[in-house]
Amino acid sequence: MKLKQSIAIFTAVFFGLLTLVALLFNVSGLSSVILGWASFLAAIALILGVMNLLLVHLTRLFKEQNLYSGVLVLSILGVFAAAVLDGLTGSNSVNALFNWVQAPLEAALASLLAVFLLLAGVQLLKRQHTGWAVLFSVTAVVMLLGQALLTSRLLPAGLRQPVNQIVEFVQNVVVTAGLRGLLIGVALGTLLLSLRLLMGVERPYNK
Amino acid sequence: MTPLIILLTLLVLVVLLFLLTRSVRAGRLVVLRPLTSYEGLAGQVGRAIESGRQLHLTLGQASLVGTANPTSISAVAVLDHLAKDGCANGTPPLITVGEGTLLPLAQANIQHALAEAGRSGDFDLSLTQFVAHDTDPFAYGAGVAAVLQQQRVASNIMVGRFGPELVLMVEAANRQAIDQVVGTDDPTALAIATAVTDNVLIGEELFATSAYLEGSPSQIASLQLQDILRWVVVLFILGAAVYQLV
Repeated sequence: MKLKQSIAIFTAVFFGLLTLVALLFNVSGLSSVILGWASFLAAIALILGVMNLLLVHLTRLFKEQNLYSGVLVLSILGVFAAAVLDGLTGSNSVNALFNWVQAPLEAALASLLAVFLLLAGVQLLKRQHTGWAVLFSVTAVVMLLGQALLTSRLLPAGLRQPVNQIVEFVQNVVVTAGLRGLLIGVALGTLLLSLRLLMGVERPYNK
Repeated sequence: MTPLIILLTLLVLVVLLFLLTRSVRAGRLVVLRPLTSYEGLAGQVGRAIESGRQLHLTLGQASLVGTANPTSISAVAVLDHLAKDGCANGTPPLITVGEGTLLPLAQANIQHALAEAGRSGDFDLSLTQFVAHDTDPFAYGAGVAAVLQQQRVASNIMVGRFGPELVLMVEAANRQAIDQVVGTDDPTALAIATAVTDNVLIGEELFATSAYLEGSPSQIASLQLQDILRWVVVLFILGAAVYQLV
């Protein structure tokens, strides 16, 4: 067991350092070979993932008679059959399935986001009666109204400039400052976690 | 010249990390800032056991092969902690992943936690579920929402890289009146999370997870070094601002 762990740590640290050196000193051949191996492993992991999805839902279909799982299993098998047929006949049915089923469904889900976000904002006001919740909601309303009014003809010409200034101030100063603070924190966290991985101190793979 | 400067900086950081780790190991008292999100996280396993239902944890869509892999590794630290607690008490968490490379890692964690609890035979394939690939964020959001609606879930913990699709999952959990903890480094997802729950691990707090949950000397030292670096950045920004004004 200890030997197995040592091999895992050695492999992770060795390839981590090798990739770092290759990227720093622009040894493009070496880094692209390592990244190619990693991409190959990621592709294998994806196939395993799809098999896991199929097996989990097959089990649920037969054990719990779950109708949704049945639809999912049929969809997976149907698309697989269509892909095989495409390969044999040169037709384009997988693309047609994507364009007629998946793309409209994803577009519908994307359009629902705005409604869900609005609901989330209302729930925040119901859940928290604090100044921060009010500030959150007021900012959201000001930004939405501001953007909407600026693109419409309803706003009088005299008010156009002050509204634009408010919207730009919130976007360029408040939001940008917050985002940069967040990203600096994330960058520091990423840097130190990466260092711990390269030192072999952090071992998420060692199970 | 630049690569050498970067290497030198990394070496200095490694030495500092080593020295701080040694000092923590020697018994220097370190007080971590209280974070309410961790208190929320810590109570989730207990609530799941009391309610006799499962705890659901989803690990986001950041690939271990991509540039956002530290986010996923931090998420796995949360999984590690919850799996240990849950498996020891006979309620292993239900894990969903939105990226292929996260699946073997999640399965290994659950199997390890069950083995440590002496319950290796309890491993079930449906404990770790692949939902969708990272190129299909809406399929992932809808898939996790379906899991939350169909399974008996006590708490919903979402840690890792998410985008706007997070709203589909949190809304599904809200409809079921399920407690939620969200931890991510994505600004859009953070804005959504702030609106739906008080338990939010904001950006760098997610990277500090392992130090708060496990508290090993190297993790605490890393957190301290992160604080030191933050002050260096703050002073640099202030200095640059003053320099521009003068």
